[in-house]
Amino acid sequence: MFRLNFRIAVRNLLKNKAYAAINIAGLSLGLTAFILLLLYMNHERSYDEWSPGLENVYQVRERHDFSSPDNQERWQDFVDSRAAALLGSKVPSITYATRVDNNWDNEASSVRPERGEPQLVKGLLDADENFFRVFPYVFVWGDPVSALKKPGTVVLKQATALRLFGTDRVLGKTVRLFRWRTDPGQALTVTGVIKEPKGPQSLAMSGILRTGNRDKDPDRPAASTYCAVYVRTRPAADTSALAKTVSRVYLEHRKWLFAARKISWKAYRAKGNYAGMKLLPLKQVHANPPFGENWLEKLKPLLVISVFLFLISVINFVNLATAQSVQRAKEVGVKKVLGVYRRQLVLQFLLEAGLQAFLALFVCIALVELLLPAFNAHFGVSLTFWHHPDIASLCLQLLLAFVLVSLLAGLYPALVLANYDPVRVLKGSYEHGLKGLRLRNALVIFQFVISVSFIIAMGVMQMQMNFMTHRNLGFEKAHLINLRTNYSEDFAERLRRIPGVESVSTTTQVLGNTFNVPEEITYKGRKINLSTVTVSMDALSALKVRAVSGRLFSPNFKQDTINSVVINEQAAKLIGPNPVGQAYDVLSEKEKNTFRIIGVIADYHYDGFDKPVLPTVYKVTALGGTSSTNNLLLRIAAGNQQAVLARVAAEWKRMYPDFPVRYFPVADAFEQVMQADIRLKNLTAVFSVLSVVLSLLGLFALSTFTARRRTREIAVRKVLGATDLQIVSMLNRSFVVLIIAANLVAWPVAYLLMARWLSGYAYRIDVPLFPFAAATVLSVLVCLLTVSIQAGRAAQADPVKALKYE
Amino acid sequence: MIELNNIEKYHPAKGIKHYVLRHVSASIASGEFVSVMGPSGAGKSTLLNILGMLEEPTYGTYHFMGEDITSMNERKRIELYRNHIGFVFQAYHLIDEMTVQENIEAPLIYKKIVASERKSRVADLLDRFNMVAKKDLFPSQLSGGQQQLVGIARALVAEPSLILADEPTGNLQSAQAAEIMSLFRKLNREEGITIVQVTHSEKNAQYGNRILTIEDGVVRTDTPVAGQL
Repeated sequence: MFRLNFRIAVRNLLKNKAYAAINIAGLSLGLTAFILLLLYMNHERSYDEWSPGLENVYQVRERHDFSSPDNQERWQDFVDSRAAALLGSKVPSITYATRVDNNWDNEASSVRPERGEPQLVKGLLDADENFFRVFPYVFVWGDPVSALKKPGTVVLKQATALRLFGTDRVLGKTVRLFRWRTDPGQALTVTGVIKEPKGPQSLAMSGILRTGNRDKDPDRPAASTYCAVYVRTRPAADTSALAKTVSRVYLEHRKWLFAARKISWKAYRAKGNYAGMKLLPLKQVHANPPFGENWLEKLKPLLVISVFLFLISVINFVNLATAQSVQRAKEVGVKKVLGVYRRQLVLQFLLEAGLQAFLALFVCIALVELLLPAFNAHFGVSLTFWHHPDIASLCLQLLLAFVLVSLLAGLYPALVLANYDPVRVLKGSYEHGLKGLRLRNALVIFQFVISVSFIIAMGVMQMQMNFMTHRNLGFEKAHLINLRTNYSEDFAERLRRIPGVESVSTTTQVLGNTFNVPEEITYKGRKINLSTVTVSMDALSALKVRAVSGRLFSPNFKQDTINSVVINEQAAKLIGPNPVGQAYDVLSEKEKNTFRIIGVIADYHYDGFDKPVLPTVYKVTALGGTSSTNNLLLRIAAGNQQAVLARVAAEWKRMYPDFPVRYFPVADAFEQVMQADIRLKNLTAVFSVLSVVLSLLGLFALSTFTARRRTREIAVRKVLGATDLQIVSMLNRSFVVLIIAANLVAWPVAYLLMARWLSGYAYRIDVPLFPFAAATVLSVLVCLLTVSIQAGRAAQADPVKALKYE
Repeated sequence: MIELNNIEKYHPAKGIKHYVLRHVSASIASGEFVSVMGPSGAGKSTLLNILGMLEEPTYGTYHFMGEDITSMNERKRIELYRNHIGFVFQAYHLIDEMTVQENIEAPLIYKKIVASERKSRVADLLDRFNMVAKKDLFPSQLSGGQQQLVGIARALVAEPSLILADEPTGNLQSAQAAEIMSLFRKLNREEGITIVQVTHSEKNAQYGNRILTIEDGVVRTDTPVAGQL
């Protein structure tokens, strides 16, 4: 019986090729999006699974409020280095604890092998001796026990060794490590080469150093150094008891520290501070970043979009299958009379859905293979399908997806078909096409609600993108180069002498690298919170920001190096009207500093458009402390930028042969800031096109069946004198009503979604009307077009043929 | 074989009972060949559907081989279809996606008869109906008469004791119709299969041995055929 049903299913597919193609194409598109996401999620879930020994490895998290972007208390992986010694000695079930550099901004160091040029290497982390006792890396050369025995050693990953030396047999060779431009450097001996573990790792590194800096904790209780700490516990340690012990040991330690510093613990707690320490299993580290969203939250919009696409394709399937069921009615009737159980019929039609889903699965696998390179490039991952590390569980997931699709798509049509009443079917009254019409209409509406919403979203996003790319940033981003190093007067002077370099300056606030220091000022008795940015004399003029009133800094004014400040418009709003010439105070415990405002500049953007420009004070003077970061801004004359940069690089190399030069155009930083938004917009564009195409395919097939079902009606009307056009418009009417209904639903949905999306931007457009109107017009037009193709054919058919068989 | 007792069938339409059959009582013995006649809308087909258990009467009782059908569950009814009743339709109702051979074989598959026996029975029927050459064709490739032959072969393959035929020759030309009717008579006489057919044609009715005339849902006459053809 299975074989016969299978044969019937295949013959049916071949008979209705267009219908089958639409179904299979639709399902495979929906499945492809689904499976790509599945691969991505598998990848994200597979972090830190590369060794069974990692089960007993924990990351230490400490709750405190510094180095957090919002100055709130958070469980951070940036912990007091004393935690390692403390936990290692006071908690019995912890066998080893190790201190490692945090690798936040993935800063590169320069590494110079014995022979050869210095190279920038990212992810070289300084650690103490215990690192390889905690992390069970596999050594290709050397051994984990002795590798970091002495300071001045380094263990490289195989790929890093190959990059630096061209071979991985590098034991005993030395490299010099330079952390910054003027670093005299430190010699390190390679004592081990480790294999790249299989699968992604939350502790991304290219090599582990032991310079000796991480070996000791500061002696003075008031001083602390911060780093990441990892511990290894005995196997099968009681986790809840462990958590309690860690918490207790930490609090005792904090109290002891406070006592040593003569600070009241009670007063500290009374201020609402909360101190704590906990262990986070390494496997959970990736899913629990200390700040911000984890990967699942970031993935949510994509997840929602692909679920919708998937639904559209399933709806196509359901719609077409129920519409087409008219053709199968007789088969059902006859089979019922021959003595087939309803259950068997349901199974048969599920089998047919399954067959199509199976074909779709194959197309989908081909599509996934085809799309993976682009997908990998887009998301910065390296996913594979055939070489998937856990192919068995992937196949199981695929199987589940297949069953899910078959059931979702096949169950309803199967039930409809199996419920046909044989008496009515066999009498020849096939008007059962009307059955499920209401559901079919609802599904078409649902489909088009999604499609229209996608179109609207795409339009609104495009308009917001246009708004952002054409927005005046408040400074000139062209011909501005950022050298990633700190400012020193003599080097700046050398660069200034290069023809084509118009100015060399520094600021802590520029697109691509911004570092604001919060400060509380007192102005006429009012306290105001501002950000402080330290700039060099000509930084603001180099950025070409616009002075709204007053003037910018100038070497002609002695006062500017003493206590002059420039504020931006946001700050001026807080301070009050006519701020130029006014003075404010900054009070600290010991002293009072007075600053005089000499000018107000127009706000300029130094971060994405999602973040507002903060009220900021710019100062040149060292009064009240300075801050600095690695921004050396070069304004280059227009034209021949490459030649000028080559000379800058040459000058750098002459001065600092051990550290390769790094720079980026500020305009690129702007591109990068926009990157995430552009990605989302492009994805939405792709998905909206896909969803529209799928919906239209569905509509096309549906209108075909409608036209076929109404063949006799059309023939009768023609005989009664209806023109072709009248018949086409008659067939169109019911569909256009559906599309308009879908638009009515889509408008508020899209409005709410887009208003929410836009509210994520500090600088945004109002929700525009145009995409809404355009989406409606577009959807109605393509609907008319699609339906008319079939309707036209039906209308032109010879009525005699249709009426001959009664 | 068939005992109908006071069968009534009506469709409620806007509160009014629209009667299709009224007080129909009849009994058909095993081995009879009954033709049901009457004008359009008289209730002939409904009667046949009730006999075939495709429809349920509103009132009345129906005993089939001594069993009360009206109180039977679906599973039991399906067992009866499979084992005792074969249907022949005016519009043949062959399954378009199956070949001739597969169409004839289908009822046996549902009866869970083993493949070897299925093959031999189908081959036997194809042979009897001279259709061996056409066994791999699809219904759309056959003429109407040939399709109906397949339909009858399909009804016969499960070796039923009763064949219900709803205007089996309604779509056929008279030569083909005569062929089908003589086949029916042969089956009735030589194999003892009970046949109930609905027909419009006086001529076709002469092939049977009894005529029931129905008008407005009531059995008007019940006469044996005198000079059977």
